[in-house]
Amino acid sequence: MKKILAIFQKETILRFTSPIEWLFFLILPLFFTFVLAGGTAGNMDTRTRLAVVDQANSTLSAQLIAGLEASGSIRPDVKTLAEAEDEFSKRNVSAVLVIPPDFTLEKLREGALALDLRQLPNNLNSLAAYQTVQTILGRLSSSVEIAQQSVQAAEDLRPFENDAERAAYFDAALDAAQTELSVAPQRVATAQALVEDPVEYDPRANSSAGQLITWVFIPLFGISVTFAYERATGTLRRLLTTPTRKATYLLGTLLAAVFWALVQMLLLVLFGIFVMKLNWGHSPAALAVILTASALAASAIGVAMGAFVKTEGQANGLSIMLGMVMALLGGCWYPLELFPAVVQQAVKVLPTRWAMQGMLDIVLRGQDLSAVLPEAAVLLGFAVVFYAIGIWRFRYE
Amino acid sequence: MKKILLLGWKDLTLAFRDKAALILMLLAPFALTLGLGLVTGGLSGGSSSSGLSDIPVVLVNQDAGQLGGELVNVFQSAELAELVAPQVSGDAAAARQLVDDDQTAAAVIIPAGFTAGIIPDAGTGQSGAAVQIELYMNPSRPTSSGIVQAIVDQFVNQVEIGRVGAQVTVSGLIVSGRIQPQQAAALGEQLGASQAQAADSSRITLTGVEADSPAVEFNVLAYMAPGMALMFLMFTVSNGGRTLLVEKAHGTLPRLLVAPLSPAQVLLGKMFGVFLTGTAQMLILIVASTLLFQLKWGNPMAVLALVLACVVGAVGWGMLITALVKTPGQAASIGSAVMLIFGILGGSFFDISILPAWFRAASRITPNAWGLDGFGRLAAGGGLMDILPDITGLLAMGVVLFGVSLFLFMRRGVIQR
Amino acid sequence: MPAILEVQQLVKKYGDKTAVNGISFDIQAGEIFSLLGPNGAGKTTTISVLSTLYVPTSGDAVIGGHSVVKEPMAVRNLIGVVPQDLALYEDLTARENLSFWGQMYNLSGKALNARVDQVLEQIGLKDRANQRVKTFSGGMKRRVNIGVGLLHQPRLLFMDEPTVGIDPQSRRAILDSVKDLNRQGMTVLYTTHYMEEAQELSDRVGIIDHGDLIALGTQGELTRQVGEYEALQLHISEMDDSEALAQALRGVEGVVRADVIDHNITLITPEAEKILAPVVSRANERGIRIHTVTIQEPNLEAVFLHLTGRALRD
Ligand SMILES: Nc1ncnc2c1ncn2[C@@H]1O[C@H](COP(=O)(O)OP(=O)(O)OP(=O)(O)O)[C@@H](O)[C@H]1O
Ligand SMILES: [Mg+2]
Repeated sequence: MKKILAIFQKETILRFTSPIEWLFFLILPLFFTFVLAGGTAGNMDTRTRLAVVDQANSTLSAQLIAGLEASGSIRPDVKTLAEAEDEFSKRNVSAVLVIPPDFTLEKLREGALALDLRQLPNNLNSLAAYQTVQTILGRLSSSVEIAQQSVQAAEDLRPFENDAERAAYFDAALDAAQTELSVAPQRVATAQALVEDPVEYDPRANSSAGQLITWVFIPLFGISVTFAYERATGTLRRLLTTPTRKATYLLGTLLAAVFWALVQMLLLVLFGIFVMKLNWGHSPAALAVILTASALAASAIGVAMGAFVKTEGQANGLSIMLGMVMALLGGCWYPLELFPAVVQQAVKVLPTRWAMQGMLDIVLRGQDLSAVLPEAAVLLGFAVVFYAIGIWRFRYE
Repeated sequence: MKKILLLGWKDLTLAFRDKAALILMLLAPFALTLGLGLVTGGLSGGSSSSGLSDIPVVLVNQDAGQLGGELVNVFQSAELAELVAPQVSGDAAAARQLVDDDQTAAAVIIPAGFTAGIIPDAGTGQSGAAVQIELYMNPSRPTSSGIVQAIVDQFVNQVEIGRVGAQVTVSGLIVSGRIQPQQAAALGEQLGASQAQAADSSRITLTGVEADSPAVEFNVLAYMAPGMALMFLMFTVSNGGRTLLVEKAHGTLPRLLVAPLSPAQVLLGKMFGVFLTGTAQMLILIVASTLLFQLKWGNPMAVLALVLACVVGAVGWGMLITALVKTPGQAASIGSAVMLIFGILGGSFFDISILPAWFRAASRITPNAWGLDGFGRLAAGGGLMDILPDITGLLAMGVVLFGVSLFLFMRRGVIQR
Repeated sequence: MPAILEVQQLVKKYGDKTAVNGISFDIQAGEIFSLLGPNGAGKTTTISVLSTLYVPTSGDAVIGGHSVVKEPMAVRNLIGVVPQDLALYEDLTARENLSFWGQMYNLSGKALNARVDQVLEQIGLKDRANQRVKTFSGGMKRRVNIGVGLLHQPRLLFMDEPTVGIDPQSRRAILDSVKDLNRQGMTVLYTTHYMEEAQELSDRVGIIDHGDLIALGTQGELTRQVGEYEALQLHISEMDDSEALAQALRGVEGVVRADVIDHNITLITPEAEKILAPVVSRANERGIRIHTVTIQEPNLEAVFLHLTGRALRD
C-alpha cells in the first residue's frame, strides 16, 4: 500500500511538473464548455438569428415580425435588403426573410401572398427558421380564412344586400376570429422529466457533460503515454528488478490517473453547478457512480493502449485522436439523435456513449441512482475487458 | 537556396516517416470528418435534409372523442411515415418510462375529455373544460422531440382554427338572423370540420430559396473536410516546430549551424520543410476526400492557391509556438492545445455564425477561420477572385508571425551556435 | 566463503537468436566479479536474467539460496541493479528519485530519509539534491543512476557497464566508488567491455563472447592460459603519426597485432624483448621518437585475442 502511494505521488509530481498540464486539466475543458454552451447563462441569445427585410411596413408585416419575436426559436433582425444580402453572403446569418411590399391585409383578403425565405443549404438553423415562419404565417392567415368562410356560409343562406354589408360582415368575423384565437386555451402541456423541480431542456447541459467526458477521457487514455515513457526511459524495467509487483505498479499508476480524473470531473461538475446552474448535484450517489465508472472504463482503455503503442509520441497522438473521435461518436459533441439509426446502434460499442447517456440521465433528466446503474454496469464491463487485455499484453520494454 | 530546399526535403521525408505524427496528420482528420459526416447525415444520403428520420414516439390515446383518434391518425399518416415511427400504447406511465429510458423521443398523452373540451356536445351545445395533451419530451433528443412537438402543435392549431371558425361563423349567422340558436350545435360540428381542413392550406406561401449557384452541389462534408484538414494542419506545423527543438536537443541543429550555412538558411530550411509537409498533408486529404467522399472542392487552381496560403498562415503559428517554448515536450502539448482551440475558434467543429460578434472577430486570428471561409466560397462555386481577401489575410498572418518569431529566435539564441 | 550467486547452465533466447548460450559460474560473497565481453556478447541479457527481469529459456541461477526462476521476489530483495542505460525520472529531483526508488525497495519513514541522505553523500550530489535530474550533466546522472542501486544496501550489486559514454574523471570516480563499496562488504557483478576496468577492479573475471563463457578465473589464471603473449606499449610524441607507425610495425616479424589509442601503440607479441630492437629501428627510420616503452605481462586483452582471434573492441 505504501508503495502504491509512492507511485501515486511520483505520477502526480510528474504530471503537474509542466504548467501546460493545467491547460488540459482545467483551462481547455472550461473554455470549451463555455464556448459550446454559448457563453454565459442568460446574457447570450441561443435563438437563431433571422434577417428580416420588411418592404411592406404594413400592419400585417408588423404582426408577422411580432409573431417571430414571440417565438422561442427565432430572433428576427430587421435589416435593409442590401445589409441582409451582405450578411447572408458572408454566412453570418443562416436565413433571410424578405417581406414584399404587397404583404398587406387587403392583398391577403383578395388572394394569396408569397414570401421569400433564403436559407443556407444543409443548415439545421435555417430549417428551424423555415418551420417557425411557416407556423406564424399559418396563424396569420387563418383568421382571414375564417372570416372568408364565415362570409361564404352567410352568403349561402341569405345573400348580402350590398358589398358594404358583406365587408362589414367580413370585418366583424375577422375581428371575432382574431380575438377568439388569441384567447384560445393552452391545449398542449410539455414536460421534460419526472422530477419535483421541473427540468428545463438546457443545451448547456449537453455541452457540460460532453466536454467533461472528452477532456477526462483524453488524459485517461494518456495512461498509455505514461507506460510508453516508462518503457522508453527504462524505469519500468528497473522497477521490475525491485521487490515490487507488476500489479502494484499498475495499481499505483491507475490510482493516480483515476484519482486526478475524478478531481478534474468534480471541478468541472462544480463549474456546471455554480457557474452554469446545471442540475448536476441532485443525486450525489448517482453522480459518484457514473463518474467513477466512466473513469475506470477510460483508464482501462488507456492501459490496453499502453500495451500496444510503441512510442510516447504515438501514444500521445492516439490518445488525443481516439479521445476526440470517441467523444464525437459517443454523442458528446452533438446529440446522438442526429446520427443515422445504424450509427446510433453502432456507437453502443463506445464507452463514451454510455458515459454520456449516464450523465444526461442525471443532469438533463434529473434521474437518480437506479437510472444510471445500467450505464455504470456497461462501463464497468468495458473496464474489465480492457484491463484484462491490457494486463495480458502488458510489456515492460 | 539549394541548401534550403535540401533541408526542407529532409524534413518532409522525416515527417512522413514518423508513424505517430502520421496518425494525427492524416488519420485523425479523416476519422473526424467521417464522424462529423455521420452526425450531419452527409453520408446517409437521407431524404430529409435535417438528417432525421424514423423518430420514435409513443402515443397514448385516452380520449373517447374523435379528435384523439385523429391525432393518432396524423402520426400514422403516410406523409409522416418516413419522419416518425409512432407506437401506440395504453399506459401513460409506461410511455413516460420509455422516454426516461431514452427509448423514444417523446410521449404524446391525449387525456380523456380532450375532444369534449373542444367540440360542443350535440345535445347541450356546451363544451367541457379544456384539458391539455401532455407532451413528454426527451431532453437528450431536443431536435427529435421538437419535431414531435411541431406536429402536435400543428394539429392542435388546426383543431383550434376549426373550433374558432365554427364559433365565429355560427354566432355570425345567429346574430344576423340567418339561423336559430337551436340549430347552432349541429351546424357547428359540420362547419368545424371544413374549417379545420381549410386551415391546412395557408394563403401565404413561403418560397424557400437555397443559397447560390445551382451548378455546384454543396455537401456538408465539403464543410467538415476542410475544417478537419485545417485543424490538423495546425498539428503538423507545431510538430514541425517541435522537430526544430528536438534537433537542437539531439545536436543535429548545432551541427547544421557549424556547417557552412547561415542561421537564416537553417531557419528558412526548417520552415520550408514544415511548409512542404503541411501542403502535402492538405493535398493528400483533399485528393483522398475527393476520391472517397466524392467531395467537390471547387476550382482546382483556386483551391491550390488557398491551400498554399493556409499553410503559410499556419506555419507562422507553428514558428511562433516554437519560438515561445523551451522543450520539445512543451511544443507538443502547446501544439495540441492550440490545435484544439483554433479548431473550435475557427469553426472547424461547428458553424460559428450563430455566435456573438466578438467571437467571430476573435476567430480571425486563426488560419482555420480564413481557410474555412475560402473553402466555403470555392465549394459554393466561387473563383480565385472571391477568395482574394482570405488569401491576403492568410499571407499577412504568415508574414507577421514569421517576423515576430524570427525576432524571438534571435533574442533567445535558438539558432545560434 | 560461500557462493552468493550460482549460475547453472543459463540459456536465454530471443526467438531463435541465442543471446546467452548455457553459461555457468559462481560469485563468492565479498568479491568483485567482472563479466568482460565485446558489444552484443550477452552481458546485459545475463544481468537481466539474474535480476529476474527475464525468465531464462533454460537453466537457473541461485542468489543467496533463492532461485531467480522460482523466487524472484526473494531475489529482488537481495540485489541492487545499476542498468546500462539511465533509468531515472528526469523531471523529478535527485532526492525525489532516490526517495521513490527507496520506497520501491520497501524502505520507508526515517530509515528511508537517512539512506537517501547517505547515498546522496556517497555519490557526491548533496548540494544538488533538490534539482531536477534533467538539469544534471551526463556524469551526475550516472551517479544518481548508481545511487538508486545502493539504497537498500543490497548484498549483491549488478552494475551493467556503468562507465559507458562518460568522461575520464567521472569514470575514475565510479571505479573508485565500486572499490569502496566492495571494501565495505558489497559483492559486485560488474560488466564491461573495457579490459582495463576488469583488470583494475576484479578478483575474478569471466570472458563472454557470442553468449558463451569462454574463459573464467582469476586474472593470473587467465593470463597464464595465454602465457606466450606479451604486450609492448610505446608512447610517442603527439606530433607524430601514430597510425602510420603502427602500420609499419605490423610488418615486423613477431608482431601479432598493433593497436593505436591516441599516442600509445600496443603491440601484441609472443616475445617482447625480441622485437624491441626492430621496432625501435623502424621508428628511427621514420624519424619518430619513442618516449617510453613498457613491457606488460600478458593481459586480458591478450587473453581475448588468444581465444577468439579478435580484439575486444574493433
Ligand atoms: N530484446 C531483444 N530482442 C532480441 N534480441 C536481443 C534483445 N536484447 C538483446 N538482443 C540480442 O542479444 C544479443 C546480446 O545482447 P546484450 O544486450 O545482452 O549484449 P551486451 O553484451 O550487453 O552488449 P553491449 O556491450 O552492447 O551492451 C545481441 O545480439 C542483441 O542483439
Ligand atoms: Mg549491454
